[in-house]
Amino acid sequence: MRQQIPIYPFAAIVGQERMKLALTLNIINPALSGVLIRGEKGTAKSTAVRALAHILPEIEVFVPDPFRLDPRTEGEMWPELQKALGVMNPPEPLIQKSKIKVVELPVGATEDRLVGSLDLEKALKTGQKRVEPGLLAAAHRGVLYVDEVNLLDDHLVDVLLDSAAMGVSVIEREGVSFSHPARFTLVGTMNPEEGELRPQLLDRFGLCVNIAGVLDLESRVAVLARRSSFEDNPESFEKEWANESAKLSQAIQQAQKILPQVKVSQELLYHIATICLEVGVDGHRGDIIIHKAAKTLAAYEGRLAVTKGDIAAAAELALPHRIRRQPLQAIADNLDQVKTRVKAL
Amino acid sequence: MLSHNEAPRRLYPLAAVVGQASLKKALLIAAVNPLSGGVLARGEKGAAKSTLARGLAELLPPIKLAAGCAYGCEPDKPQFWCPRCQALGESNSWLARPRPFLTLPLNATEDRVAGGLDFEIALSQGSRRESPGLLVQAHRGILYVDEVNLLDDHIVDLLLDAAGSGQNSLEREGLSVKRPARFLLIGTMNPEEGELRPQFLDRFGLSVLVESEKDLDLRVNLIRLREEFEADPEAFRDRFRPESEKLKSQILKAIQILPLVETPERVRKFIAELALAKHVAGHRADLFLFEAARSLTALAGRRIVSEAEVLEAAPLVLAHRQRESAPPPPPPPPPPPPENSEDDQEKSEENDPPEPPDQNQPDSAPEETPPKPEEAEPPEEDNDPSEREDEEGLDPDQNAQPPEPDLSDLSEKIFEIGQTFRVRRLEVAKDRLRRRGSGRRSRSRVNQKQGRYVKSGPNDGQGDIALDATIRVAAPYQKTRTRPEGLAVALRASDIRSRIREKKMGHHLFFVVDASGSMGARGRMAAAKGAIMSLLLDAYQKRDQVALLSFRRSEATINLPLTSSAHLAGRLLAEMPIGGRTPLAKALVATSQEVRNVLAKNPLARPIVIFITDGRANVGLNGDQSQPLKEAWSLARILAQERRVKSLVVDTEEKSLLTFDLAIRLAEALEADYFKINDLRAQTLLDIIKKEG
Repeated sequence: MRQQIPIYPFAAIVGQERMKLALTLNIINPALSGVLIRGEKGTAKSTAVRALAHILPEIEVFVPDPFRLDPRTEGEMWPELQKALGVMNPPEPLIQKSKIKVVELPVGATEDRLVGSLDLEKALKTGQKRVEPGLLAAAHRGVLYVDEVNLLDDHLVDVLLDSAAMGVSVIEREGVSFSHPARFTLVGTMNPEEGELRPQLLDRFGLCVNIAGVLDLESRVAVLARRSSFEDNPESFEKEWANESAKLSQAIQQAQKILPQVKVSQELLYHIATICLEVGVDGHRGDIIIHKAAKTLAAYEGRLAVTKGDIAAAAELALPHRIRRQPLQAIADNLDQVKTRVKAL
Repeated sequence: MLSHNEAPRRLYPLAAVVGQASLKKALLIAAVNPLSGGVLARGEKGAAKSTLARGLAELLPPIKLAAGCAYGCEPDKPQFWCPRCQALGESNSWLARPRPFLTLPLNATEDRVAGGLDFEIALSQGSRRESPGLLVQAHRGILYVDEVNLLDDHIVDLLLDAAGSGQNSLEREGLSVKRPARFLLIGTMNPEEGELRPQFLDRFGLSVLVESEKDLDLRVNLIRLREEFEADPEAFRDRFRPESEKLKSQILKAIQILPLVETPERVRKFIAELALAKHVAGHRADLFLFEAARSLTALAGRRIVSEAEVLEAAPLVLAHRQRESAPPPPPPPPPPPPENSEDDQEKSEENDPPEPPDQNQPDSAPEETPPKPEEAEPPEEDNDPSEREDEEGLDPDQNAQPPEPDLSDLSEKIFEIGQTFRVRRLEVAKDRLRRRGSGRRSRSRVNQKQGRYVKSGPNDGQGDIALDATIRVAAPYQKTRTRPEGLAVALRASDIRSRIREKKMGHHLFFVVDASGSMGARGRMAAAKGAIMSLLLDAYQKRDQVALLSFRRSEATINLPLTSSAHLAGRLLAEMPIGGRTPLAKALVATSQEVRNVLAKNPLARPIVIFITDGRANVGLNGDQSQPLKEAWSLARILAQERRVKSLVVDTEEKSLLTFDLAIRLAEALEADYFKINDLRAQTLLDIIKKEG
């Protein structure tokens, strides 16, 4: 069904470079564990996330497998999880390439839908306890997208915290007891006027960008022009941008290839740690994320050595939401703080 | 039976965690001697709390478990064996197995925590067999709860029950069994998200405050190690295998020595004295300290406990039990009557520092704490109770109206936010009404198909059927019922069970702030802003919705309509200017309009209105200044008639020779609880956890 709805091409989004960069870095390196996009309404937040579908790379998966296990490292779990689904003697699974999925978590979702539940039909028809996988299973190795993440019900946030922290979803409900891997890139969008995120959830997002509407006249006109030609004829618009989209996916794949070889010098590691200490962040996740983001950035630009500039750019993405704040102090003010501190160092 | 309920994967080894010496120590102590209680790791996010807790599991020596036994029966305790192990008796085969390590997810339901009927077996064999819950499965092992402070109260009750008795009793669905459930509880939490209940906190033998490492070299090392681990987890684990093995054998040796470790009388006394000196609550601390010190001795390979081990264990055991050394200032004594004010002034100085609050009743109801308005009434003024009934005989606006300290409409100031503090519990009692909403202030049953499904109950006709529970109820009767074609279960209407969901309710808090010139006097506004900020922080943790109204000059302004963004309220508060006259009446009108709007939209809501004022008024509804106070009070009485609204008055007037107590009169008219700013401070001792050291 998803394919039938035309998707605005990622490459055709005007401006919002930081948001596009943050998303792209997360696609290249899922270990960045997601991005939080904060901004007013109508700033192409949701468009950008949905547009990722065009440029997502492929991964290997078993067929059939609602849990989207990695055949290379999680293969041994497959028979076990098939059993949980009620398939007692599964045949040898096929391995296929499949595009990374963007799974959307609606704000009003029930907990059952998110974590999975007892399979109603199986229970009534055969009297067996079987599992019906939830959105967390579908999002494994993919993107879990929550629009208006700040409006998400508390108990759903708790579930997200649990599985985001462990990379595993443990289900102990309704007589069902089982677990499956659930590592996903958490992408959230929110309008800060409607309330902030809980600190613990905030920390789970690797990167954070604050965005505002595009301000200059020329860009605004471009937004309008592209939007209307997309609405008029989505297919031809998509075709028009196919070249750009292809370039982008190629760049992503290229970056993924060289990422393992990217090096950070000892001196620059000290630079990262100094920034985090200077700016005052809770915990160590800030250091780790800057390090990863800087490497990913270098790979994206085709370099094998991380520069000070990469680290500065990475810090701007990784720190705004991690700076130890005065109680109830807003996040938006923090970006300038990061910039000036990093510049001073 | 599964002894782990998490999908297998390669964990970051505990031995490779940089720093965090205290938490490592606490985990080792608990691993060697489960009697030293569970471990609570409190602290900032991203400081390796969870990594360490999980890393402990693989360092524990194996235990003997019966093959196929789901209850963790112990070979040398036949009296506690499960029916299966009893039936097998001598022929049971005991195998060395890793200790159970079970994760209790926040959304677990009661049947999986405490156990329930296994409907699969009931349907296929027609027999009632229990399906053991996590508490029983974790017997002799570890039960791990991430974000333990977010656990539902209902599940916490089950945990406390088992932790207290060492067993889990299951009384439901025709089952009545008791099973041993002694486990090591390990929890992690970030205090920013709220604290633990005191009883729950007390169950943790050891607690550690985790902070990130501040040393540059350590931080760099940490980044490096993390990078290596993620690049190749297996190679990384190999690299640290020697150190892991060393820890493993240290734990194993310590477990073997532990029964031989002796504690001399002198050291026992020392423990008791230490606990006394640190003013800890209850005797549990002494016991945990004793066991932790033994554990440390065994870890060091020694057999006799010395004072050194006690001192080493003390911070871990005592930090979360210690009472506040400096109790917050108690509510100030009732304002002195004007005629003999000098004597009273002296008296109150003698009482300084004031006596500490009653430690036996830390949680006294809000209604009891504020000074009774009657007692606090200055007798000289013409507002004694008999006359108050008859307002006509009194013209408060002429007699009781104090002079405005700063009347100039032109001067406008913005005051800094004063000191913030932890606020006491302000809440509306839990009721049986089902309602809609979300938040964490009070617990309430909800009837939306939302909220956390915690357990099941008889059918309530709402259509939110708990299928698992329904099948469990129906399962034993299947032998005698004819099953419909294609179905394995024949259900009757009487089998139907509904889900019971629980959700913490947030409230709607209306802050009505007096921003008139009189608030500028002597730091009043700074203190008031501090108090509001504290309440906002509390509101944030409890997910309340807040609205901010202020009144000054001739207008009442809605600065912020109802929103869940306490942040925004905080910012507006910081920027709020003060100056001008005091249109209290207009504020009351604006407030009641806002409150009515909320009630119209959501008739089950219970808004709380918090007035922050000194109670003065000098501008009436029509801008006239004839009887502004009287007008305000009669409006207040009208607002008080709306029973769904709870009001609080926070009096900003400070104690002085000349107090007017107008805020008390306002509180009376509103039938509101009355507080001085200091009364808002949290006074329970156990819920304020002292920073270690």
